[in-house]
Amino acid sequence: MPKKKAKDHQNTEGTVSRRSVLKIGAAAGAASVVAPSVLSSTALGFQSGTVAEPVSCVQPSGPSPAHTPFVAEFAAPFPADDHNLSPHPTEFPNLGAGEADRAPHQRWAQFAPAHFTYELEARAGLHTFHPDYSPTYIWGFNGQYPSPTCLNKYGKTTIVRFRNSLPVNTTTFGRNEITIHLHNGHHGSESDGFAGDYFSTGFWKDNMYPVIYAGLDAFGGIGDPTEAQRSQWFHDHRAEFTLNNNILGLNGMFFIYDQVDPGHEHPSAGSLQLPGYYGITDFPVILTDKRFCPTANGRTEMVQAAGGDKWIVNGQIQPKMTVRRRKYRFRFLNTGPTQTYDISLIKPDGSVGTMVVVATDGNLLENPIPVDAGANAGNSNSNTAPIVPGAIRVSVAERYDVIIDFAQFPAGSKLYLKENRTMSVNPGNVFAGLPSGLNIGQVLIRFDVVNREPWFPPDTPPIPSTLTTYPAITPTDNNWEWQFTRDPVGTVPRLFRVRRPFDGPLGCVFDPEHSAHCILRGTTEEWLLNNNVGGSAWVHPVHIHFEEFRTLKRFVNGVEVPVPPLQSGRKDVSRLEAGQGALIKMQFRDYNGRYLIHCHNMAHEDAFMMVRWDICPDQASLDACIADQQVCQRELDSKLRLEDGEVA
Amino acid sequence: MDRRALFNRVFEPHPASPGPSRFTNAVLRTQDNKEVRFYDDLIKGKQAVINFMYAECHGACPLVTQTLKKTYRELKDRMGKDLFFYSITTKPEDDSPAALKHYATMRKADLPGWYFLTGNEYDIQTIRFRLFGMGHPGFDLDDSLHAGMLRIVNDARNSWGMAQAFASQKNILKRIEWQDNPKSYAQRVIESRARQVLIMRDVEKYGYRRDV
Repeated sequence: MPKKKAKDHQNTEGTVSRRSVLKIGAAAGAASVVAPSVLSSTALGFQSGTVAEPVSCVQPSGPSPAHTPFVAEFAAPFPADDHNLSPHPTEFPNLGAGEADRAPHQRWAQFAPAHFTYELEARAGLHTFHPDYSPTYIWGFNGQYPSPTCLNKYGKTTIVRFRNSLPVNTTTFGRNEITIHLHNGHHGSESDGFAGDYFSTGFWKDNMYPVIYAGLDAFGGIGDPTEAQRSQWFHDHRAEFTLNNNILGLNGMFFIYDQVDPGHEHPSAGSLQLPGYYGITDFPVILTDKRFCPTANGRTEMVQAAGGDKWIVNGQIQPKMTVRRRKYRFRFLNTGPTQTYDISLIKPDGSVGTMVVVATDGNLLENPIPVDAGANAGNSNSNTAPIVPGAIRVSVAERYDVIIDFAQFPAGSKLYLKENRTMSVNPGNVFAGLPSGLNIGQVLIRFDVVNREPWFPPDTPPIPSTLTTYPAITPTDNNWEWQFTRDPVGTVPRLFRVRRPFDGPLGCVFDPEHSAHCILRGTTEEWLLNNNVGGSAWVHPVHIHFEEFRTLKRFVNGVEVPVPPLQSGRKDVSRLEAGQGALIKMQFRDYNGRYLIHCHNMAHEDAFMMVRWDICPDQASLDACIADQQVCQRELDSKLRLEDGEVA
Repeated sequence: MDRRALFNRVFEPHPASPGPSRFTNAVLRTQDNKEVRFYDDLIKGKQAVINFMYAECHGACPLVTQTLKKTYRELKDRMGKDLFFYSITTKPEDDSPAALKHYATMRKADLPGWYFLTGNEYDIQTIRFRLFGMGHPGFDLDDSLHAGMLRIVNDARNSWGMAQAFASQKNILKRIEWQDNPKSYAQRVIESRARQVLIMRDVEKYGYRRDV
């Protein structure tokens, strides 16, 4: 009964009649009845049946509700539960059992059956973002936020069954159609979460991740071990609604281990012995920002906002974490949807501490790069938004694995992870005890240092000076250019676009049907990515599916500048700030299919800053692809044809 | 594990349609100047593809109408029986039933089961918010942003979908099909076999599945 009332209220959006005002009154009156049952189901950690749809405020006038800092506990998301799938995964889609249609899994004979099988069901749930808050309506995998983390191992095939059990008829801003992209796995396009391959409620889809190194064709076996990537994440990629579905919570982390980084800290053959116990000494730090409505009806609902005023770390606002005097590994991931973070470590005396970056976008660096106030590693060479010394800039979808050594601080010290911007805090709540110069609104996490108890794993050896060797760069077969532009002022609607140099002045909008660039499998290409056309002042974290790239050159306003050290490693997101460009190089190997290049600012990719490119297995396929290549400004062309009377 | 339960997942009853409280029951006029109520006459128990247009539009609207016409040809057997197209004008002050009739005739779209609708501006804006609203004034207040989208509603099943009007024929048909009433297990097995053949044809021809 109360649930029905809540729905009715939402339905009055756009019109406020006397009747709906009466209904709001009724819903508020029912709140006291609703609250206890909702709270108890959250406390148990599961939902049975459906979760009442939220009654969201459209545009709150004030900031999000106040929270008390350092009450919540920082913790890693649960590891996903590995269990048998029923019915069994199949090479061809099991449409009869409710699987969404898809191409057969590539290399099935080579890599089936799966060693790890996970089932992640996208469904509505409730999550409490802060102990001061009431539960918030979310869409999460298995109803949880953050989603469970999938733990995987190189050479062991993983199949994740993504099940869509989102509400059929939803009043939220999300779309109940999903396609899950594993960022940045090396696998067939049928498992890649192509933006146009979304499937609706009631269906499921098996994504097959063979979890191999790139270079299968050349190296055989499970590929070239120097191609390893470790911190990946999966998220909904539904064309045009990626932002909405990701705000609601459809994303999670996906770790991969091997001998070099085995997920434990014992000395073993080939192991670097980096801090590696998941949830004990090795933590994902999943960043996002959200905005909340005032608490009402036993809920603190979130707003559909491209930028929030509360920084959220692993699902909590300003959590605290007890750390032992030893090394810890933190895997920063910015899940956006749009904001960029500048993260630094603040020591008890207020000065900037050292974070040692060991991996960028999940790829180990050849040599670890310490980031501190003295020797800023130069994570960015932006003129318009210079980075603060000692900070690591993390734009949407970028990952930075850092190691922080807490052994250098006495027990009882408090350290802070700082974001350069300031979130909204309760103005009446003056927080004493912070180091001078640090604003409470800037703190992401507080670390409370304690002595290591005997049962806690002992410290790991010093970080090796060489972590990996990168694969040799092969000769270039082709050069290509993508420009990231926005329509000029006065165009309605003003879309974000990707443009090829030979396109018309505007460029392409996302067309899932047509490839904008056809690539022969096994070739190597140099791509010039450009954000200095059209006077765009936006940051575009450009993400390329499927393959890692190396940055050969960086440009600011067309002038070549040195590649910042943290951008010089293998990456899959190239952050283009205002006026910047990058020359990158990558190989296209092992699989055929359609993939994407897009801006990972989710508001931009939803506004069409995304194009499809295809890997074709042979010349005939390549020719067919080129013949059907995307023609940008298709609408304009069709209009002309219409005027010519060709179609009527 | 009861395997049958898994097969039957999509047959689970969906919550009942919220009816006019969601869709409104606004009085609209068709191109034949017939008075209809939006929920009772057009939506209730039916499957419908809804888009917004206006007669004087020279950009996207004629193309969307063109796309819908092709889609109509494909689904001819169902049109006017359990499936309907509704093209609602965003400029009701300009578009009288006669103007819409002219538009439909000119585009050879004046077909059974396809209504071009006009009405009170307030009602039409309300319907537009209800069907295409994203809860964001920047998007919602911009009429042009919904021009290229088709809303697919199946009231009997109480399910909602969306399609890009500029997507391919196949793509649109697939999205309409997603909102169809649940099919029997036997029917889905037959369809899965048929689709598998098409996918394999694509894979054999190009080495990968090119069509979306």
